[in-house]
Amino acid sequence: MDYDPMAMDDAESLGPVVKISQADSVRVKFELSNADLAFANSLRRVMLGEIPTVAIDLVEIEANSSVLADEFIAHRLGLIPLNADGVESLLYSRECDCDEYCEHCSITLNLHAKCVGDENMHVYARDMVPSGDRINQTLGTPVIVDPEGNGPLILKLRPGQEIKLQCIAKKGIAKEHAKWAPSAAIGFEYDPHNKLHHLDLWYETDPKAEWPPSEYADWEEPPQEDEPFDYDAVPNRFYFNVETAGNLPADAIVTEGIKVLQQKLAGMIHELTEGEGDGANGDYNGPRSPEYNNAGDGWQDQGYTTPYGNGGAQSSWGGAGGATPYGQTPYGGQTWS
Amino acid sequence: MAPRSTRKKAVEEAPMEEEPTSHQPTAEDEDASMADADVDQEDGEEANPEDEEEEEDEEVQRVRILPGSTPTAASFEFLEEGHTLGNALRYIVMQNPDVEFCAYAIPHPSEAKMNVRIQTYEGTTAIQALEKGLRDLQELCDVVTDKFTVARDEFSNRMAA
Ligand SMILES: [Zn+2]
Repeated sequence: MDYDPMAMDDAESLGPVVKISQADSVRVKFELSNADLAFANSLRRVMLGEIPTVAIDLVEIEANSSVLADEFIAHRLGLIPLNADGVESLLYSRECDCDEYCEHCSITLNLHAKCVGDENMHVYARDMVPSGDRINQTLGTPVIVDPEGNGPLILKLRPGQEIKLQCIAKKGIAKEHAKWAPSAAIGFEYDPHNKLHHLDLWYETDPKAEWPPSEYADWEEPPQEDEPFDYDAVPNRFYFNVETAGNLPADAIVTEGIKVLQQKLAGMIHELTEGEGDGANGDYNGPRSPEYNNAGDGWQDQGYTTPYGNGGAQSSWGGAGGATPYGQTPYGGQTWS
Repeated sequence: MAPRSTRKKAVEEAPMEEEPTSHQPTAEDEDASMADADVDQEDGEEANPEDEEEEEDEEVQRVRILPGSTPTAASFEFLEEGHTLGNALRYIVMQNPDVEFCAYAIPHPSEAKMNVRIQTYEGTTAIQALEKGLRDLQELCDVVTDKFTVARDEFSNRMAA
C-alpha cells in the first residue's frame, strides 16, 4: 500500500504542521494545519475530557461550625485545582488493591482553621496541608498563582467558628467529573471568514458589519467579492487556544492529550492482534470468556466472533445471535485475517 | 477492575456519582456487590474477596465484530468509545486506497458503544484495514507530537533570545 495517510487530498505531502503563536504559563495558542477536521476535533475532545489529573474526591468532615453546609464546602474543595505533576505514577483508586484509599491511589490534604480573632477569617487553598507519603512533593498540592500566594478562597469564618476536615484527592478524568479537567478552556476555530459556510451567522441587516472579525481573520485570505462557493473545499487550518487551570502546564495538556489518544489506539491494536499467530485453538494467555473451554458448540450459539481469527475470546457480553456469519468457522485453522 | 471503594466514613463528597466511564458492562453486578460491600465493611475487613478475584481476571473485550460480517465487509462494535476515536478513525481508514467504504455511528447516546463499518476491495480484509487505520492514526499522533514539541521549543528559544 503506497499512500501517505497524512497527506491531504490536494497531495501536498507535507504532513501536518504546527505553528505556535503564544505560549506562557497560562495558555498555548497554536495552529495545526494540513490536518483533517476529524483529527483536530479528536485532539480537542481528548484534551477537554480524557487527560488524567487529580482532584479532591472524598471529604471527611470532623468539625464545621461555619455558615456553609458540609456538602457545599465539599463541592468547593472538589473544584480546587491541584498540581497533577506525576499523576501517571498514581493509580486509579478503583484499580488499586487497597480497601478504600492509600498512598498509591490518593493524596491526603488536611484543613484545620479556627477564627480566634475579632475579625472574619478567610480560609484559602494555601491552608490545606498535604500529609502522608506522596509520589513527589508537588503532586496534589493546591495550585497557587495569585500574587498574594493565597490560592482560591474556600470559605470565611466568623469569630469562634471552626473548620476541620480531611480531603482525599484521587486520580480521574473530566469525562467523569469536570473537576478533573486540566484545561480551563479550549478555543478551537477554523475558517475565520466562514468561506465553508459551516456557520450560519444571524444578522439584522449585514453580517459583515455586525459580527466582529475573528482574531485569525488576518491569517487567511478573505473571500473575493462575489467569489463562487467552492463545494470541494475542506477546512485545513485549525486554531487552538489551550488555557490551563494550573494543574498541568498548557503545553503538557496538548502532549498529554495526544498521548491519551495514542493509548486508546494502542489498546485497540493490542486487542486486535493479541494471540495472533498461535494455533487455531487459541493457546494464548489473553482474556477469555468462561465458556471458552467447551469451545466446539459454546461459541457457535453466540453467533459472534471476534475480529481476530482466533479462539478464546468470544464476546462476553453478547447475547444470542444467529449462527456464525461465516460458512467456515474462522477458528478452523483457516484464519482470514 | 476491583469494585469501587465504599465510603463508610465519608460525610460528604463532591457530587459526581456516576460510574467511572471506563467501567460499564456489569452495571447490575456492580450495584449488587457494592451493596454487599457496604454491609461487609461494617463488620470488618471482608469486602467479598470472591467478587474481587473474579473481576480481576476478567478483562473486558472492547472490540467485536458484529454478525453478518464477511471478510471484506465488516461492522465492528467498540465499547466505551465515541466520536473522539470514531471520526478520526473513519477519516484515516478512508485514506486507505484499498478501502471501498468506511463510516462510523453511535447508535444510541445512552449506550457507550460506537460502530464502525468497513468495506474493502479484494486483496485485503476489513480487519486488516481497521488495524492499519489504527496504526496510521498512531503514526499521525506521533508526527503531531513531534511537530508540536519542536514548535514549542523553537518558540521558547525565540522568546528567550
Ligand atoms: Zn490505594
